Amino acid sequence: MAWDPVTPGLRAQLRGLRIASRRSSALRGGGQHRSRDKGVGLEFSQYRSYEPGDEPRRIDWKLYARSDRFFVREAERDSPIAVWIVVDASASMGQADESRPDWSRLDAARALAACVAELALRQGDRAGLVALREDALAFVPAAGGRRQRERLLFELERLRAQGGVVDETRLRPLWERIAPDDLVIVLGDFLDPATATLATRLAAARREVVALQLLTVAERDFPFGDGRRFIDPETGEALPGDARALRGQFLARFGQAQRALHARLGEAGIRHAVHVLDEPLPQPLRVLFGAAPGSDAA
Amino acid sequence: MNPVLLLPAGLAALAALALPLLIHLARRQQQRPTVFAALRWLQANPRPRRRVRFDEPWLLAVRLLLVALLALLLARPALLGVVDARPRLLVATGVDRASIAQLDVGADVQAHWLAPGFPALDQPAPGGPAAFASLLREFDAGLPPGAPLTVLVPQRLAGADGGDLRLGRQVEWRIAGPGAWPEAAATPPPRLAIRHDAAHREGTGYLRAVALAWQEGDAVPPHIDESAELPALPVEALAWLHAGVLPEAVVAWVEQGGQVLVPADAALPDAALPVVAWRDEVGEPLLQVARIGRGRVLQLLRPLSPAAMPQLLEPGFAQRLRGFVQPPPAPTAVAASDYRPGSGATAAPAAPVDLRPWLALAIALLALVERWLATSRRRGAPA
Repeated sequence: MAWDPVTPGLRAQLRGLRIASRRSSALRGGGQHRSRDKGVGLEFSQYRSYEPGDEPRRIDWKLYARSDRFFVREAERDSPIAVWIVVDASASMGQADESRPDWSRLDAARALAACVAELALRQGDRAGLVALREDALAFVPAAGGRRQRERLLFELERLRAQGGVVDETRLRPLWERIAPDDLVIVLGDFLDPATATLATRLAAARREVVALQLLTVAERDFPFGDGRRFIDPETGEALPGDARALRGQFLARFGQAQRALHARLGEAGIRHAVHVLDEPLPQPLRVLFGAAPGSDAA
Repeated sequence: MNPVLLLPAGLAALAALALPLLIHLARRQQQRPTVFAALRWLQANPRPRRRVRFDEPWLLAVRLLLVALLALLLARPALLGVVDARPRLLVATGVDRASIAQLDVGADVQAHWLAPGFPALDQPAPGGPAAFASLLREFDAGLPPGAPLTVLVPQRLAGADGGDLRLGRQVEWRIAGPGAWPEAAATPPPRLAIRHDAAHREGTGYLRAVALAWQEGDAVPPHIDESAELPALPVEALAWLHAGVLPEAVVAWVEQGGQVLVPADAALPDAALPVVAWRDEVGEPLLQVARIGRGRVLQLLRPLSPAAMPQLLEPGFAQRLRGFVQPPPAPTAVAASDYRPGSGATAAPAAPVDLRPWLALAIALLALVERWLATSRRRGAPA
């Protein structure tokens, strides 16, 4: 495997995290869910030899009759939820900090997406990927298994930050694929209101949405001290000015906008976290998934 | 001790101070393009700050100082009134070391030989003849007015001249040892060769007699030839009795130090500026002399015949002519006690001390500091 942002060190830090859907864990307590487990969700996977402790009813008696050995039928159980990773791939995601020019917002988003995929697949959930690009949505249908991880990594590696925010009309396939009760993790800068709008609408439509906002150090600290010509990567708009003079007002206005955004996400019932590019990577995942509300493993 | 500027107009170069200021200002106006997605929360400042600000103030300060010092260098700073009033000791060549050792001088005395360049007394005594009086005047003129001067001379001095020896100060005149009279150089009498044409044959006899008289009878007779060729043998004097312009070969020979005697109808080279050197009793010119190179051209202004020039027949003619061909050396030897210099000459004002070498050193050091500041890694990333 050529490209894998989930380094062994990072993988070790992911230990103990669990992607849990508040919605489905609430459902799982009811009997409805369990009965579905027994029914159509069971799909034959493999035989394995009997080990002490296995339930006798899981022994395949017909096979015992043929081979005079105990075999257990193992089935792959459909996970009740799919984890959808939605990555914003507009041009603004390509912004990096001057102190670390090779680590853009999109790089962080790809690494975090890979971590989420790793977590989801490890705990047996299905994982899928949607990249929000202006021209077309990039899809990896939700599935499980080791091959799926490679498919996701392949798609993530190809991802480039370009173009503006995706148009509303192009989002139809997204609504068709993401089923109700699925977990949707939106990775983006949330600077354009379109991303937040999409997240709130998904949440309103009974999808469990988790928002992870990626900010650069420049947006948090505004560390410029000289004359600058600020250029919006999506519109190409430019604003020349003395950074020192602009700093105070920008920090105030941006902080206000951030508070408004967080309030909006909170009202929509969206769990959210902010990751600034100079922070350690798994930090936001810890915030979002560290203290899982439901602890019952399937 | 007054600092002065010898060329205050050089301070006009201070206008160059604007250069580093402009450089450091220009950078401020340069705006680095920066990708910034959160542009909508940036608000263009309606009233941009007009405060003049400079990048890298320390580097700017060093550069300003550097330019200012360069302008100062152009203005030629100097210190006036720096008086080095230490006593001086001058020792004439010819005084032996023992006499110098006997002389009780102070510890801070500056001792020199009275020789060209005034070498220090530690160095070996310079040889060769020295124009004593001229050197003493030169040393006195370069000395600040208050500095006492001691001159140690032998009893007999060579190198005096006809001028009055008056110095700018009262000199302590010490006489040590006998010293030696300069040996009278016994200059051999000049040898004369005679070249003439047919028209001047008459006069050759007188010149032959002159040449024989110079050689005092015991020498070979002069070489007389009716030709226009230079003599093959080395001679000091040549009688070139030809009318018209002097040939180039003769002029070249004169420039090498020869003395040539030409008749009245010869034409001198254009560059020669003749001066009448000998007049008869009534003031009519008889002989004029012109310098060419290291030698001289002597032109008899009358034909060589007793009728035109009765002096030819006088008994002292040969010696008189020798005096022009071979002038006797001027007397330069004098007894030291008779050559005590007087005082009262106007002392030259002390020369200002040039500060430019020190300033140049400071500028070089400052330039190094500037380079160090400008290339140090503490500077921001290159634009």
